[in-house]
Amino acid sequence: MRRLSNRAFTHAALIVVGAAVLVPVIWVIAAGFRTQISLLTGEFLFTPVMSNFAEVLFSKTSDFLVNYRNSLIVGIASTVLCLTIATLAAWSLARLDWPRWVVHVFLGWALLFQMLPPLALASAWYTLVRSIGLQNSFAGLILAHTVLNLPMALWLMGVFVREVPLELEEAARIDGASTAVLLRHIILPLVAPGLAACAILTFVFSWNEFAVALNLTMKQTATVPVAIAKFAQDFEIRYTQMAAAAALSILPALVLLLIGQRFIVRGLTQGAIK
Amino acid sequence: MKQAGALSRWATFGPALFVMLALGALPLANLVYTSFHTVTWSGGQATFSWAGLAHYRALPADPLLRAGFFNTIVFAVFAVGGQMLLGFTLALLCSRVRRGRVLYRALFILPILIPGIVIGAIWKLMLNFDFGLINQITDLAGIEARNWLGDKETALASVIAVDIWHWTPFCFLLLLAGLESLPQDPYEAAKIDGASWWQELRYITLPLMAPAIMVTFAFRLVIAFKVFDEIYLLTGGGPGTATEVLSFTLYQRFFTEDRAGYGSAMAIAIIFLCSLLLVAALSVRRRPETAA
Amino acid sequence: MATRRQTLAGMAAASLTLGRPIVGSAQAKMAPITVVINQSPWFDSFRKTVELYEKESGNKVELDVNPFAGSLEKQRNSVRAKQGQYDLLIMNSGWFAEMYFGGFVEALSDIDPGFKLDKDIFTLGDTVFFDPVKKTMAPGGKLMSMPISPLIPVLYYRGDLYKEAGLAAPQTFAELEANAKKFHKPPKMYGIVQRGARGPATVSFDFYPYLYGMGGSIFKNQAAGDYTVTLNSEQGRAALDYYIRLAREAGHPKTAAMDQADLIQNMVTGKTAHVMMVIAAWSQMDDPQKSAVVDKVEFAPTPHGPNLPTAPGLGHWLGGVARNVPDDRKRATVEFLRWYQTKAAQMATAQAGGIPVSAAPYREPIAQERRFRWMKAIAESLPHAVSTMNFPEAGEVIPILELGLNQAIAGEIAPVASLNSMAEQIHAVMAKYNYNTGTLPKLN
Repeated sequence: MRRLSNRAFTHAALIVVGAAVLVPVIWVIAAGFRTQISLLTGEFLFTPVMSNFAEVLFSKTSDFLVNYRNSLIVGIASTVLCLTIATLAAWSLARLDWPRWVVHVFLGWALLFQMLPPLALASAWYTLVRSIGLQNSFAGLILAHTVLNLPMALWLMGVFVREVPLELEEAARIDGASTAVLLRHIILPLVAPGLAACAILTFVFSWNEFAVALNLTMKQTATVPVAIAKFAQDFEIRYTQMAAAAALSILPALVLLLIGQRFIVRGLTQGAIK
Repeated sequence: MKQAGALSRWATFGPALFVMLALGALPLANLVYTSFHTVTWSGGQATFSWAGLAHYRALPADPLLRAGFFNTIVFAVFAVGGQMLLGFTLALLCSRVRRGRVLYRALFILPILIPGIVIGAIWKLMLNFDFGLINQITDLAGIEARNWLGDKETALASVIAVDIWHWTPFCFLLLLAGLESLPQDPYEAAKIDGASWWQELRYITLPLMAPAIMVTFAFRLVIAFKVFDEIYLLTGGGPGTATEVLSFTLYQRFFTEDRAGYGSAMAIAIIFLCSLLLVAALSVRRRPETAA
Repeated sequence: MATRRQTLAGMAAASLTLGRPIVGSAQAKMAPITVVINQSPWFDSFRKTVELYEKESGNKVELDVNPFAGSLEKQRNSVRAKQGQYDLLIMNSGWFAEMYFGGFVEALSDIDPGFKLDKDIFTLGDTVFFDPVKKTMAPGGKLMSMPISPLIPVLYYRGDLYKEAGLAAPQTFAELEANAKKFHKPPKMYGIVQRGARGPATVSFDFYPYLYGMGGSIFKNQAAGDYTVTLNSEQGRAALDYYIRLAREAGHPKTAAMDQADLIQNMVTGKTAHVMMVIAAWSQMDDPQKSAVVDKVEFAPTPHGPNLPTAPGLGHWLGGVARNVPDDRKRATVEFLRWYQTKAAQMATAQAGGIPVSAAPYREPIAQERRFRWMKAIAESLPHAVSTMNFPEAGEVIPILELGLNQAIAGEIAPVASLNSMAEQIHAVMAKYNYNTGTLPKLN
């Protein structure tokens, strides 16, 4: 009996919070289907229009589809790059017997770097990227996003990597496994839940990053946040078009999340089987 | 582990080291260098004139900075504290349910998927005095409509509330992943011993989760110190200086007023302050762990 | 040469009205240029004007469109590098002084000694001129830039309500106050909504027409390089007292929190009878998707004191040629600007819904059309437009005004104390940068 009411209470609490989370999100998405005046007068019932989405996707001054593609390229590439580097380094620092001072200094430096305001970084990187001639390519932005998210990825993967029991690794070593095999077949499956969470966050941060993307891109390489920021103009915030663009922009991360869920579940069952 | 050769060591650690040095050291060095100079432009060329510690000494006298200091600390403590608490609670609840976990996870993560500028713009509309959704709801509940973002008393609290809504998913996602990675053995042993859920929480979950909690907290705090997009659109630092935060002052001084030297000194000072706060917060947290 | 261009421009104008395709141009091909500009309500008309130029001349013009929040950053990056990415910089009133003083833009007359500003072009507070030696903006200086968009505030008022009450557009501040009070029936309708929020250029921009319209000013004489701070004069006091009184007796209860978006929102939802706002928002008033007061809003120059001219503050956009780009691109840019100032090009801008910088279109029948009824107010106001900050450190002065005005409107400090404090702080900034400055005795 107690189990049942406990579970009911849990679900009830989750649903209440879910509503508080969901209402503004639905409001944003709904705003994409409204006329501006309908939104400004705050009327509750409204007749939906498609003009905002049409304007965002197909108008002459809009490069939204191009921006979308750019954001996908930069997001996926920087996430893959960032997580690969971070996981390898995190495991290395935790398990490969580096001197303590190296570990502390490096991780400390990473954390310190995370505190730098994007404003200061953006102009320094622009100069750097310009001097190599990469200012209108994806390479500069991908590298920049990788570095921006690396400290957090490093620390987080450090936590998840340390949760893999030492005995497992030792057993694998005794069986003659090389580093590559060890990483791929033991470590990777066990850090999957953490890795998935980290991947989602890294992708989202890259997708939503504005300050650096603004500085390092031009028309052909601009990303979604730059496009969305154009709706916040000096004399008018085009709320409804911004909302439409925002509704479109949350799709990739949602898809990524749904895919990522599978890995998390798979990782759990594998861990249990061990 | 000593069996790993030098190749393995450098192959795994090398890339991270290279990236952080090549791309990370340059901006920081540039910032430090600039903070000791005053930069002026004429004829299309920049002149760096030595200023020593002048910029650093000018910082405490800056009126915006004084307001920003206080507001940022309040913001950081309440916003980040609130998010951690809420995120952890949600993660705990979520980890107990089997059915619908996928749905809940997708649901609770939504706010962080939305770009900061959109959050700022949309919440500004919702908190609008004349037409906002929030005042419409409070109207139904019989509470008087308030100018949430425009009144000194409620402005900072409103900004904190929006931030909690926006960033709790960050804490939730990471803490849930952390909970899901925990070994099951201690729990099974506890169940055999007949431990209550509170004892489970206090003596098993919290200590095991301590690293994940600390890292999530640390990064959330650091990111909170840099908050900009939302405040820019929600309140622009007003009313008066009620929501002036450090990153905003930095934007004003460094960028709008184009004072690169002074701005760099301010950025360095902010980093220093953030580190202090972080160390203070983490050392407070460490105590309960040793007690357990 | 000039005659041939005029003929072509005339042909273009004829083609526009007759709807026939434009005949191929025999002009020499110039280098393609890149323009850095921001997304805005008037951008669309600029884009169409540029397309017309491309069709006529065969020259290529690339538009790099940025969010407003990013325009300055990108321009700074480009001009400070060894080689610039952008040839034509569309500079906002907030930063053109930085570009002039820093030597980042080259004078049009230096690139093309024969370049003459069309006599019909509004010089917008003479901000198109700059003397690099004296560092002032007055007609004696070099021609540094071309006006692109002349944004000034005008008075938007509910013509339908005025008609009902049998009133004429207010000319003086006294009339504005009386009319606003007449329509003030909170909370359904406010007499007027003013800005009071602290922002990048929020309450101060709203305050300028009041200050200058009553004969006050921030500096004594910028054109002569005299930056004595005159904000805390009797006229300054009168202006601030009036502003606050208007807000209290006929305005929004939360004026201290109102910003641009709130003003527009109140106007389009029909909640206010008056608003003093930059002209760029005119297109929202008659758009049924954005407004509940379609065809009801009328426009007038901002009010003024008796026997004084209207004095709207400038929030305009100027086009300057970057110094750090190759010569052929500079010449191509000047060529574009030479075309842009012609009557035909300006007519095209007007037709596309933009705001012409030349007086010519305002004399044409187009200014009588119902949908362009704001043109009369603009044509009257532009010759009197005031540029409040002609120096690069404006970025340090504006926040002082923003904070001080915001606190006075919120009732946190007394108006006189606020004016004195702002004047003192502004003086400190000007002195720090070695301008010729001074102060008035304190107000009591």
